[in-house]
Amino acid sequence: MTPRKEIASSLVLILFSLTFLIYTTRYPLDDWESPGPAVFPLLLGGVLLLLAVWQLIRAFLAPRTPARGGETGSMIKAFKAFLHENRGEAKVIMLTSLLVLYILMMQWIGFFVSTFLLVIFSSRLMETKDWIRPVVLSIGVGLFCYFLFEVWLKLSFPRGILF
Amino acid sequence: MSDQGILSYLLITLQPDNVIACFVGAMIGTLIGVLPGLGPAAAMALVIPLTLKLGPTAGLIMLAGIYYGSMYGGSTTSILVNVPGEPASVVTTLDGYAMAKKGRAGAALAIAAIGSFVAGTISVIALQFFAPLLARTALAFGPAEYFVLTVLGVVLLSNLTGKSKIRSLIMMMAGLILSTVGMDPIGGLERFSFGIDTAQGGISFIAITTGIFGIAEVFEVMAAREKPVEILPVKFRELYPNREEIRRSVAPIARGSVLGFLIGLLPGPAATMASFASYGMERSISKHPEEFGKGAIEGVAGPEAANNAASGGAMIPLLSLGLPFTPATAVLLGGMLLHGITPGPFLLRDRPDVFWGVIGSFYLGNAMLLILNLPLVGIFAKLVRVSPRYLMPVILVLCVIGTFGDNSALFDVWVMLGAGVIGYVMRKYGYQPAPLVVGLVLGPVMERSFRQTLIISGGRIESLWEPPICMVMWGVALLAILLPMVIPPIKAGIKGRLKNKA
Repeated sequence: MTPRKEIASSLVLILFSLTFLIYTTRYPLDDWESPGPAVFPLLLGGVLLLLAVWQLIRAFLAPRTPARGGETGSMIKAFKAFLHENRGEAKVIMLTSLLVLYILMMQWIGFFVSTFLLVIFSSRLMETKDWIRPVVLSIGVGLFCYFLFEVWLKLSFPRGILF
Repeated sequence: MSDQGILSYLLITLQPDNVIACFVGAMIGTLIGVLPGLGPAAAMALVIPLTLKLGPTAGLIMLAGIYYGSMYGGSTTSILVNVPGEPASVVTTLDGYAMAKKGRAGAALAIAAIGSFVAGTISVIALQFFAPLLARTALAFGPAEYFVLTVLGVVLLSNLTGKSKIRSLIMMMAGLILSTVGMDPIGGLERFSFGIDTAQGGISFIAITTGIFGIAEVFEVMAAREKPVEILPVKFRELYPNREEIRRSVAPIARGSVLGFLIGLLPGPAATMASFASYGMERSISKHPEEFGKGAIEGVAGPEAANNAASGGAMIPLLSLGLPFTPATAVLLGGMLLHGITPGPFLLRDRPDVFWGVIGSFYLGNAMLLILNLPLVGIFAKLVRVSPRYLMPVILVLCVIGTFGDNSALFDVWVMLGAGVIGYVMRKYGYQPAPLVVGLVLGPVMERSFRQTLIISGGRIESLWEPPICMVMWGVALLAILLPMVIPPIKAGIKGRLKNKA
């Protein structure tokens, strides 16, 4: 991991542990003879904070690799490298949005219809060339889930206006 | 308990329901080991809601089957495709794939399967003797001992998991913090649930596990570019290793079994560590170390035996102390609790049918896996060709069903998605999810034992280290912290002196 990533993740962890510690003070501490519900979380939050600070210090002390090339050139290069490195992330963001939509829709159009759509669109998102195979896959998965989980195992899934 | 009693309990495994559960578990495990995308921990978490319909013995037999079945499956792809299905099979790629390129894929697969079978069986025999012994000793454990044991687990795991000790500890702390959500285990006060009804009983273990292993893996596959997979052909008649290969494999299998079992008792990714340790040992004692990496049968036999023996060894702390030290056993513990079974020293006394039924299933499962793996190896290997564009949507749906099926709560599905996104980002930043899962499971035991110790002793903090067992465990924990700091400078110093002398 690069020092920059280490610094960023340490700062997020420090922020999280501080928020957690502050929130924990809502619960009673009591005393050592009968420790209250806040004691253990406070200890954990404290250890997490120490670890994150330790990691941050180490990241600052780590030797840096000198930047190559000119200022502007290296900035553009670094930005291009960042885009190249993270070109797959767009798909992850799209899939996350699809899953958010899926969970929201589940209550409205029901589990089976929303799952049918999820399989098709997630498969398309993974660069399936045509529509036929995702639709066939989706029908297969839907039938399998219906008979195994709903009919045989008697799990009840959210029902919507359609099914 | 008389031997006849044990035998009658072991025979519980042979009841039709349990045999089917064992077969299905071993089969799913093999598939999981072969297919990229889901590890044994996530697969077990997904199957837990299904096993609830089977009852505790059959359900746990199925979960255990997935656990050791995945070890078998992982070796198939390592040898034929040079792609380890799970981390414990990474080392098998070195010589297994080299053997396959020489046209000895069948022999490598057969030795891997036989080695796994022998080691699995040896570890089960040892498990049968050691687990009750440890369970009896553990009866003398009070809350202080349990607290120190969990601390020791945290310290040892941070040494052994991943590359960075601090990041492992951070993940462990995150898991322990997550375990505090819900009812406080002593006073019953609600904590960190933010008024959400479903969170009052604690954060769903299945949702977290499925999210950070399953969903995060789908994201990772999605972000990466698909690479075409080339499978080396294997013919049925090639499945027989020649006499020389068998002769050279006997000792590595025996050594790998013992080494793997002992490593399995330690906290950490036991199967992975055992396979690497066995490979190193075989190479160092071999008369032909130059053959390693170029297709030495010892490099397949030893590590494959070791990783299976370690899976058996890791069951001892789980069954006799109720403490899981690997992500997969952590999920198994989660499954046990959902089945109303509390693993620990009282399991053997209260539910001998479950205890011995599960252990008996290991014998049966190992035999089934040997029969499954040898003739069906070609079919399993072809599964690697299944395109992620069809596999990943199916995994997504299974993750949702597994999570929803646990509590029938949509909130858990949101938790799963959140855990998946966070798990993916964490992986990108070099934080491994395994310690978090172990922390999540160890958390309630750690908190309960910590507070109980203080309550019983009237607030004396010394009671956490006064008992002799506690002192020993604190000593081991201290050594585990200090040794990695002290040894490298000493080594560097010795090397420097030797260089100066030269």
